[in-house]
Amino acid sequence: MDIRVMKPSDIPHVQQANITNLPENYFCKYYLYHALTWPQLSYVAVDVSRPPKTPYDPPKIVGYVLAKMEEEPSDGIPHGHITSLSVMRTHRRLGLAEKLMRQSQRAMAETYGAKYVSLHVRVSNTAALHLYRDTLGFNMDKIEAKYYADGEDANCMRMELSHLRFEAEEERKGIKDQDEGDEVGSAGKKDDDKKGKKRRVKVGRVLGVGDLVERNESSAKAG
Amino acid sequence: MPQPLSAKDGAAFRQVVKLYELKQHKKALKTAEQILKKNPNHGDTLAMKALTLNAQGHTDEAFSLAKLALQQDMKSHICWHVYGLLYRSTKQLDEAIKAYKFALRLEPESAQIQRDLAFLQIQMRDYNGYIESRKAILHARPALRQNWTALAVACHLAGDLSAAEHYLKTYEDTLKQPPPRTDMEHSEASLYRNVLIGEMGEVERALAHLKTISRNNLDRTAVMEMRADYLLRLDRKDEAEEAYRALIVRNNEYRLYYEKLEKVLGLDRENPDDHAELAALYTSFLEGNHRLDAARRIPLDFLRGDEFKTAADKYLRRSLAKGVPSLFPNVKALYSDDFKRTTIQSLVEGYTSETQADGEDMPQHTNGDASSKFVQSRLYFLAQHYNYFRSRNLKKATDFISQALEMDPKSPDYHMTKARILKHLGDVEQAAEVMSFARELDTKDRYINTKCAKYQLRNNDCESALKTMSLFTRNESVGGALGDLHDMQCMWYITEDGEANLRMDKLSLALKRFKCIYDIFDVWQEDQFDFHYFSIRKGQIRAYVDMMRWEDQLRSHPFFTRAALPAIKIYVMLHDNPDLSHGHLANGSIKLEGLDAAERKRALKKAKREQERLEKAEAEKREAEKKQTKKTGTGGDGEPKKEDPDPHGFQLLQTPAPLDEAVKFLTPLLEFAPKNITAQNAGFEVFIRRNKPLLAVKCLRAAKSLDPEDPVVHEQLIRFRRSLDSTSASPIPDKVAQVLKSVSQDLLPDSTSLTAFNDAFMAKHASSAPHVRSGLRARGYLDASSKERNEEELLATLDLVDLSLEDTQAGLELLGEWKSSKAVQDEYLAKAKALWPEATSFKRR
Ligand SMILES: CC(C)(COP(=O)(O)OP(=O)(O)OC[C@H]1O[C@@H](n2cnc3c(N)ncnc32)[C@H](O)[C@@H]1OP(=O)(O)O)[C@@H](O)C(=O)NCCC(=O)NCCS
Repeated sequence: MDIRVMKPSDIPHVQQANITNLPENYFCKYYLYHALTWPQLSYVAVDVSRPPKTPYDPPKIVGYVLAKMEEEPSDGIPHGHITSLSVMRTHRRLGLAEKLMRQSQRAMAETYGAKYVSLHVRVSNTAALHLYRDTLGFNMDKIEAKYYADGEDANCMRMELSHLRFEAEEERKGIKDQDEGDEVGSAGKKDDDKKGKKRRVKVGRVLGVGDLVERNESSAKAG
Repeated sequence: MPQPLSAKDGAAFRQVVKLYELKQHKKALKTAEQILKKNPNHGDTLAMKALTLNAQGHTDEAFSLAKLALQQDMKSHICWHVYGLLYRSTKQLDEAIKAYKFALRLEPESAQIQRDLAFLQIQMRDYNGYIESRKAILHARPALRQNWTALAVACHLAGDLSAAEHYLKTYEDTLKQPPPRTDMEHSEASLYRNVLIGEMGEVERALAHLKTISRNNLDRTAVMEMRADYLLRLDRKDEAEEAYRALIVRNNEYRLYYEKLEKVLGLDRENPDDHAELAALYTSFLEGNHRLDAARRIPLDFLRGDEFKTAADKYLRRSLAKGVPSLFPNVKALYSDDFKRTTIQSLVEGYTSETQADGEDMPQHTNGDASSKFVQSRLYFLAQHYNYFRSRNLKKATDFISQALEMDPKSPDYHMTKARILKHLGDVEQAAEVMSFARELDTKDRYINTKCAKYQLRNNDCESALKTMSLFTRNESVGGALGDLHDMQCMWYITEDGEANLRMDKLSLALKRFKCIYDIFDVWQEDQFDFHYFSIRKGQIRAYVDMMRWEDQLRSHPFFTRAALPAIKIYVMLHDNPDLSHGHLANGSIKLEGLDAAERKRALKKAKREQERLEKAEAEKREAEKKQTKKTGTGGDGEPKKEDPDPHGFQLLQTPAPLDEAVKFLTPLLEFAPKNITAQNAGFEVFIRRNKPLLAVKCLRAAKSLDPEDPVVHEQLIRFRRSLDSTSASPIPDKVAQVLKSVSQDLLPDSTSLTAFNDAFMAKHASSAPHVRSGLRARGYLDASSKERNEEELLATLDLVDLSLEDTQAGLELLGEWKSSKAVQDEYLAKAKALWPEATSFKRR
């Protein structure tokens, strides 16, 4: 099983995996919106061992994580959010969900400077709770009553990503290649970083398909 | 001529525009009416009124009004713009582009018209037009980076990579100071530039350029992947090795990285001399990586002989001991190699003693729990193994799954496998029941719910399937559970439901479902529209280009093919037998065969009445529902949704030109999936009926080059030649006839006797049921007196070894097609039942 970043061409089967595994579903455009706004954050697990039957067989997707950055974080802190995560029953307990999550989390920190990642999970979903809390290290944030369409409560969970941001920063410092940005006033920038100045990434400021964003989030809530 | 409005009316007109934009359509209309009272011929106001009407859903009225507006004021860019918008909203993009161009000619400075035009052009893949528009937009606002990037994308998509890079660079050169590191737009644009350099094949320069941007780039993974790729292509081995190793550290479950690393190291899986080194390489990754699968599984792909056996043994025991449920799906790809298949089989069969559980790096299990887990995993594995087509032995499979179930009678997974075995035995009825039982063992899991619905559909029980699905759908949306499944584009369900209806001869519903898939693909194509604007603003260019390339090939997706082929089949049936278009005939409740003219007429009338009755009842039911439950009236996308006026597809089925409809499905198939032989087969059937022999023969040729021995091709070849020999019926132009003759000469030389050709084919493929059927069919055309003999030989196919269930069923269908006597059919059925005692389809006959 490969773990790799999600591409637009994966969407039909990611959508299929989602509607096969979870009650919270989305139409194609919502996946496109994720894939084209934060292309680094969503990952898929692919069964590569299957020989294709026709030249047109798309990769067989057996799991995915659909993730995003919070567009306008109410706390003003840039952070990521897991929109949806699932693995086909035939491929569960292989560590796929964990690996998908870890890749996505790192990209959140590395690419978008996310300070933490949040998600919602049904209070009754023990498998997912185990995964988030015990395997990955999420903390309970709060309970959101009747979050799901059928009236079930959600656990809001979050996980700090500072270790990943630190790693990314260390790695960056290790890159010796000269950079056009660093040649001019690199000292000032490094200072910024030391002071822990907020990394502002220009995301969410200009919403071309703003309608789409809002409408979808109200119509279908994340898993 | 443009008519000037009074100052007051002018203000009112601006008000109309504003109200329209605020979607206050009623107020907008009212204000427009007021203006028109005094200025009945005011083009712009008429146009705005048309636009508003269109937004309210009165499309026809809107169009005629917009035309009127243009007649009043040909020189108004507003009128043309509105005209363009109307066409845009009805998806006639070609027409929209024309209208926009007129508008733009009248108002060259309008940024909005220019932009709208540009998006239409790229949506239609009018690259040259798009480049022109992009240049104009850039010219108007050169300070905006996105305008440079957009022009670069336009050039890139049009294939002019160096121009694309040029525009990116030109903008970069204007930067006096590098943008801050967190500037996503800059980060992406520079990476995009690097992609262009790489795509131009200038690897050296791409690497050098990457170096200058890598440190501050925000997409680390991409930078590392691109760098590694360049280094490998430049054969800079040491650095490339380091680069791929670094990638593997980040993500050790991505085969591409391992394959490239092998390449860097000069290791070749095909070369047995390299196997030891390869194996050592993969072992080196395992240390401290308990959860890593790739490095354990990959060596099984290349190892052979005893080495394979040792490695497979370790891998299997470890996974069985852990109880990894996906072990079988994970190794079955190895089964195409006979040795590997039999080795795995004998290994797992041999794990009979409980101590086998001590796999590699597993804690020593002494307690009974762990060993019983191992025993169960083994049974589960073997059940799946013997259920798989390459190693199928359904008796053994049944046996193993029963043993597993004895140990854990409440396991949903074991029941799922049991259901699957039953399906392969042909017992779709019991399979659905067992799957339903499995579902009840874990009602919170949608996966099982999905499988259950699927099995119910396979059992042609559409009603239960929908009920099952409705346990997880948003049933309050318009159209209930089914409506939600449509909104959420649940392709598999819609397709399977169509297939089930087709099996039950319910042509109208089947067609309805396949058409729905067709429509969803239109939606998916339309979905890209907003991103022409959105992505450029967001600056995520590489992802946008990926999307464009995917959209270009959208309908090559098997989801499309799978719906298009049966849809074409239905349309061809409708063409051959127009009576079928009466829903109730098509729904299989009335048969016309064997009736005389008067009886036929009566039966048809009855079918029509029945259908009208049904439609009326349906309409009443909808009305009642509407009154009773106050539905939200919105779909899952929050858009207001109309009731479907033709939920059964009766109107769809009554199309006056079924072949025209078939072509709508066929054209994308032939364009995007030309290597699909079934698509070419279908193309032949459609074109031959449309009297397009050249197109038909094109399909035939394409199919023959894909597989010269394909049974359908064989039969079509013979039919084609026969139709040529008897063209007197439908005269074709001389030139065409000449071309046809020469082409057909290539396919099947004139000198060949068709009978001899067919006999040779049948002799060559005597052990393959599909080929035998094809030969028999062909013999039927060639020799009308051969029926009895053909029937005998068809019956004989039941003695072929390993005859599949599908082939057994297809034989029976062929007898139906030949209108064979009941005695013959009964004989066949009796034999079929003996071969497939569990099969539902024979039991129900
Ligand atoms: C939740 C889900 C995504 C987990 O996927 P997965 O690939 O099987 O998970 P992993 O193999 O990565 O599991 C990692 C760890 O999570 C925990 N975990 C996973 N499934 C578990 C289960 N059924 N029970 C208890 N713990 C479980 C375990 O600690 C596991 O580690 P282990 O296997 O070494 O014990 C999957 O079960 C699923 O798709 N469920 C349906 C959809 C869903 O609920 N999605 C989550 C919505 S918020």
